[in-house]
Amino acid sequence: MPNKNGSVYGLTILSPIIDDARATPSHDLQIRNYLAKLSTREDSPFALAPATHLARLVVMDDVIYVGAPACEEHLKSKYLIFESNCDGDLDGYLRGLADNIPEHLDAIWKHCVGYPGAANRQAFIDYMKACQLDTTFYFAAVNDKSVSETLRALQTQTAVADFIATHQGVDAATLQQEFIQFVARLKSLPLPRPGSMGPHRDIKTGGRNE
Amino acid sequence: MSNINGKVYAMNAITPMKPWKTWILRSFFFLLGHVKPLQKDLIDLSFIEFARWVVLPRNGFPFLGNGQVKEDLKYDYLLFFSNFNGTWNQYIDAFSAVLSKGLNLVWRWSEKFPGSVPVTTFKEYIARVQFDTDYYYTAYPHATANDVKSAHVVQSSLNQLELLAEQCNPQQFADAYLRFVLQVQSHLGETGEAPIAG
Repeated sequence: MPNKNGSVYGLTILSPIIDDARATPSHDLQIRNYLAKLSTREDSPFALAPATHLARLVVMDDVIYVGAPACEEHLKSKYLIFESNCDGDLDGYLRGLADNIPEHLDAIWKHCVGYPGAANRQAFIDYMKACQLDTTFYFAAVNDKSVSETLRALQTQTAVADFIATHQGVDAATLQQEFIQFVARLKSLPLPRPGSMGPHRDIKTGGRNE
Repeated sequence: MSNINGKVYAMNAITPMKPWKTWILRSFFFLLGHVKPLQKDLIDLSFIEFARWVVLPRNGFPFLGNGQVKEDLKYDYLLFFSNFNGTWNQYIDAFSAVLSKGLNLVWRWSEKFPGSVPVTTFKEYIARVQFDTDYYYTAYPHATANDVKSAHVVQSSLNQLELLAEQCNPQQFADAYLRFVLQVQSHLGETGEAPIAG
């Protein structure tokens, strides 16, 4: 099954949420409340753990009825969908999540049926795999670069644009010398933090975007 | 709820299919995965960072016991998850205009799919089968798919020039630098926050 495209892995997990009439608020709502307060920037759990390009968490309440003459049917459980586009092999990725953000994983998945907790790494990995769906077709625009490589390249792109703009008409010897210094400086810069917007730059756009 | 993070939009959609039809769809996806030229339009659209389709058989929902009630469904389901740049309307319009044949081959097996053209009924259908994202993360919210592709072109070209810079004289370097600028000049677009909706 094509869960991989190049070096990128498309992980799809569907975890049944506990259905307990005595729980107030209900478990699905507790997940939603937790997710609503979770940062999506540099301090996002997925930024703190390695190897996630893009990821989403979705509470799926039910399947959707598209109208007659289709049959109307309903799920018996609500499901938590975890969709991730990540680097490397699945075991390594899941272990990275369990090592770096166990408290977030537990806070979210403790509302799901049969969740063993992240402390027991192997049980956690086995649980996630038991909830995994195989992807039928997976598309990745860039499928051969890691998160770190992409963050580095985006940083380089901005720096190169600035270097070119400020070195127009410079004589050959100075250009060569300053280019060598520029590359050395660029390499010494820390990698931009995943989930950050990068250096602030003025944006010259406008108009409607709905 | 947040379907948007920076320059990316997360779309989720689920549509019911009669089980016998899912094998036709699986065959189509098998072909699409193995005959790369068939993906050309999808690649050329260039505003999709990642997308996936998952055929979920009616008896394929994860069942873990522990009090969970087993699903009893008549339909198989097609799940679609997309991470795209731009707005919902731009995405559906472009899909309908450029990929209408491909979309029809994917969704015509789903119940009540009206076809991807005309776009108005297609949009009504997508709006009906879409559900919202509770949490959405991206490692590079300021970049689009094209920004990422371009950044890797710039990085690769810079690496090559760097190798040369230490070995050649100033005039040779200036010539190589000029070639480098020509090579990367169309890949230096600005990244940053997305335009504000209004």
